[in-house]
Amino acid sequence: MPVLERRPRYEQGMNFAAVLRDTQGHRDDLPPPPEFDAPAADLAERARRALYEVSDPEFPISLVDLGLIYGVEADEVAGVVTVSVTFTATACPCMDFIKWDVRERLLEEPDIEEVRIEIVWDPPWTTARIPERGRDILRASGVAV
Amino acid sequence: MSDTKTAYKSASELSEETRNALGALLLALADNKRLLGIRYSDWILGAPSVEAGIACSAMAQDEWGHGRIVYSMLKDFGFDPHHLEHEREAEEYHSAGVLDSDGTSWPELIALNFLLDTALTVQFETLHESRFEPIHYKVRKLLDEERFHFEHGRGWTARLAETEAGREALAEAFGNAWTSCLAWFGPDDDAIATVLATEGIVSGDAAATRGRWLARVGPVLSAAGMDLAREDADGWVSDAEPNWSAWSTERRRVSTGGPDEDTLARVRGDRNRSLLID
Repeated sequence: MPVLERRPRYEQGMNFAAVLRDTQGHRDDLPPPPEFDAPAADLAERARRALYEVSDPEFPISLVDLGLIYGVEADEVAGVVTVSVTFTATACPCMDFIKWDVRERLLEEPDIEEVRIEIVWDPPWTTARIPERGRDILRASGVAV
Repeated sequence: MSDTKTAYKSASELSEETRNALGALLLALADNKRLLGIRYSDWILGAPSVEAGIACSAMAQDEWGHGRIVYSMLKDFGFDPHHLEHEREAEEYHSAGVLDSDGTSWPELIALNFLLDTALTVQFETLHESRFEPIHYKVRKLLDEERFHFEHGRGWTARLAETEAGREALAEAFGNAWTSCLAWFGPDDDAIATVLATEGIVSGDAAATRGRWLARVGPVLSAAGMDLAREDADGWVSDAEPNWSAWSTERRRVSTGGPDEDTLARVRGDRNRSLLID
């Protein structure tokens, strides 16, 4: 029977989360966000637009363009933004990267003090949920959709 | 039961009896998913074809994804998720006896794929319209992913049955796994299934859910030359029965013991403890 100890996350002086992210997350080939006719009407819309800059870790496409963002709500007074996000698969190995990237990007935005992420599975994501702009982006990358 | 329409939004809204029953069922589902994932992973390299190995890789990943979703719900039922995933002894796992140790043949893996994975899927189907909303909203995605597992199990069962040697191996492997898988549903008067069906948490009691599973797997088994299930006037039935004298309704199994040492180390992640990222 092995000794079972609960150890602190970075006991050995190494930030494994950062290592994983540096080796597997981040992309620098994301297409630019769409051009909007008018400034965002409210904080929720501004936050949603910012998520065009958060990429899926496996393809050069944003979470919004992939249809993974199911909702963005904002408490304008408290500066709290709640993002409902789903994943392509229940065992998506990139869940943590995606959550970190969403949080990091939104906290760069003025007036946002806190980011809450709710994971939702219903309705289930399928490729049918990819919007037209996302389909064009994937096709341009050589992915058949 | 006074009102069958009200939806429950959290475990705290359930009666103690229902909460305990559903917590036990969810833990058994999560444990079986986690263990089954390990069994699929045993064949990622060494399956009869590269494609079959890749399918095992995908199914192993799915099972652990499903396990993760269900384990994460159990905090609401008073369980400590860290303890559940990393600190339990073998006898505390609520997993089928047929998962206790690794199999030695591909037909044994296909028996798990087709019989046990389908049994778990049928059980998740009974939660699809559950009054307990937190599970109800997670099941559709899981069932979408399980369609492919069923097709894989069905396809390989039929393929192996094409030769005499394959039929013999199938009969042995499926025969050995049969009562362990059948036991998942429990006896007709199973305490947990009865409570949950009465409360509208699951859509069928033990007999109904077992019947649904037999109707799903029976025709495929028959076509493959196996007589484990047969169709009579009431639907598909099994003549063999688990030895219910050793039945544990919480653990959903008829044998004592639990995962062997190697399996336990893998399922708990003992060797990766220092890398754990919460």
